[in-house]
Amino acid sequence: MREPIDPAGVDFRRVSPRLIRLRLVAKGASGLVLVLLGALPLVLRQTDVWHGFPLWPAVVLPLLVVLAVVWRLALIPRQVRAIGYAEREDDLLIRRGLFFQRVMVVPYGRMQYVDVSVGPLERAFGLASIKLHTASAGTNAILEGLPAAEATRLREQLSARGEAKLAGL
Amino acid sequence: MTPSPQDQGNWQRVHPISPLVRGWVAVIGVLVVFGRNTFEDLLRSASSGGRDAVEGPPAWLILAIVGGAAVIFGTVFFLSWYFTRYSVSDDHVRVNSGVLFRQQRQARIDRVQAIDVVQPLLARIFGLAELKFEVADAGKSAMRLSFLRLDEARRLRAAILARAAGLTPLAGNAGAVPEAPEREVMRLSPARILGSTVLSGTTLTLVGAAALLAVLASSVRSWAVLAGFLPLLLGLVAAYWKSFSTEFNFRVAVSPDGVRLHYGLLDTRSQTIPPGRVQAVGITQGPLERLAGWYRVHVNVAGYGVDRSEGGGRSVVLPAGTLDQVLQVLELILPDPGTPDPVGVFTAGLTGKDSDGGFQPSPRRARWLDPLAWRRSGYRATGTALLCRHGVVFRSLQVVPHERTQSLGLFQGPLMRRLRLIDFVLHSTAGPVRPVVHHLDLMQGRQLFLAQASRAAAARRIARPDRWLEAPQPIDQDKEYLHEQ
Repeated sequence: MREPIDPAGVDFRRVSPRLIRLRLVAKGASGLVLVLLGALPLVLRQTDVWHGFPLWPAVVLPLLVVLAVVWRLALIPRQVRAIGYAEREDDLLIRRGLFFQRVMVVPYGRMQYVDVSVGPLERAFGLASIKLHTASAGTNAILEGLPAAEATRLREQLSARGEAKLAGL
Repeated sequence: MTPSPQDQGNWQRVHPISPLVRGWVAVIGVLVVFGRNTFEDLLRSASSGGRDAVEGPPAWLILAIVGGAAVIFGTVFFLSWYFTRYSVSDDHVRVNSGVLFRQQRQARIDRVQAIDVVQPLLARIFGLAELKFEVADAGKSAMRLSFLRLDEARRLRAAILARAAGLTPLAGNAGAVPEAPEREVMRLSPARILGSTVLSGTTLTLVGAAALLAVLASSVRSWAVLAGFLPLLLGLVAAYWKSFSTEFNFRVAVSPDGVRLHYGLLDTRSQTIPPGRVQAVGITQGPLERLAGWYRVHVNVAGYGVDRSEGGGRSVVLPAGTLDQVLQVLELILPDPGTPDPVGVFTAGLTGKDSDGGFQPSPRRARWLDPLAWRRSGYRATGTALLCRHGVVFRSLQVVPHERTQSLGLFQGPLMRRLRLIDFVLHSTAGPVRPVVHHLDLMQGRQLFLAQASRAAAARRIARPDRWLEAPQPIDQDKEYLHEQ
């Protein structure tokens, strides 16, 4: 899969496909809550607690919420497959996004520190996230869904290269 | 307190009346609260011919309260003064402060991004000054030494800058460092500052508010709406005053330690930005400023951040300058423009469109997204910096030295995808300048992205050392020095 935004001659490594399941679980859970909230007026109406509530908004609202949630879930596999990174000699390239696409290059010498984080859900899937910080707040370089071993390797690699190429500010 | 091995025994205290200068608002506040009651009672008793005098507090009570307040304030101020100490060694500036919650802060001198000598009005009256030492942490926590005698603050600034520059004075002999001579380059007249205040964005807001008010008043046919605009009006007056009083007497000078800016009407400030500390430059011109042909120049400096608390003017290096003056200032902060014709290139960046001055413009189809400004959008890479040009009503030119590039990004939304356009974003340190090139041709943008990444990498390898008076070193030696830390 090659998007027009991707710079020529760069082969991106993709993150683990397990991130798809992780995001499906996470977003599915939050989507379920939203659907339940959206269905609240209908339930209240049917149980005669809130009798005066008009019928059609009570039906349309949960339907809309369900549609939005399904749309969001359906996008996840493609969104995850759109995440990629490439280690080059001097810098790390990161790409992401489906509708709003972004490619970012972070020079190793500009990295101030690297964060590796593992949440409870990520741990269950054996995944980890890595975040690169530079002196700029605009650098929003975060990579989710790396297998734990790969995240460790990348962190070591980034720190080693960062130290070798460190350039003040 | 734990004496560290590096403790060279040169710990010093700030000026004894510093807490008063810093805490005068609290003192005045307490005086007003206590004083008003007493005063009102006095007045009442006086107006009633002394008949109610017995109801007022007796004189001894007033005296006791005033005395107690004086003792409490005095103790607090004394403790705060007693526990605040600073020391400047060859490598570090250290400040210890706090009575109950002790704070010890130290900063490496060669990491200095900028030094300010600030004189709030009250400090000026006492001949005192605050020394602010900025390190690169986005303006969150500068090292402040408040307050010192003015000549002491300047002597300390000279000593710190000399050490940061890589000159090593004899240990413990800070006084021997002469202040770097400065040469005044530019001075803005009060009329210019007044003009720039009047032609600023505040006036645009005022005009907008007045238009809205006129429409409302004519439709409601009542002047009651005016009252609603009073807070806004007061805010605007305050904004005018702030802008005028901050930028009054603006002077730009140059010294071996970097660019010096002096300004202020009541509170004065003198900033020093050492060479190579400017991360990005932004030159802007609003529609009103264009009438006078003036430009405003901002910089990103790592220590300043987006801190707007202190007049917000710290990142302004020229509040209102003609094209010539802008070029003069640019020459100071970017000594090497990387092009044989800097005047032509920068002028084209400020006023030109399409491919004037060698700029790479946006393609014609960008007009669907950007009907007015598409002809101005463009970039030009010189040997040392990238110039991003945009805006037709609010003109702007952003300059980022290659060696100061943090990271780069490309962005494309769904519409831009259809039109085969792309945005190119440069990430600089936090500050007023956020460099971006809008709506480039897709191929061109991708090319710029890769080219800029390699230009930045090349520039980093030959970058000047942090200590600006030392000779540039090859990267390997630099590494060794970094390992020392």
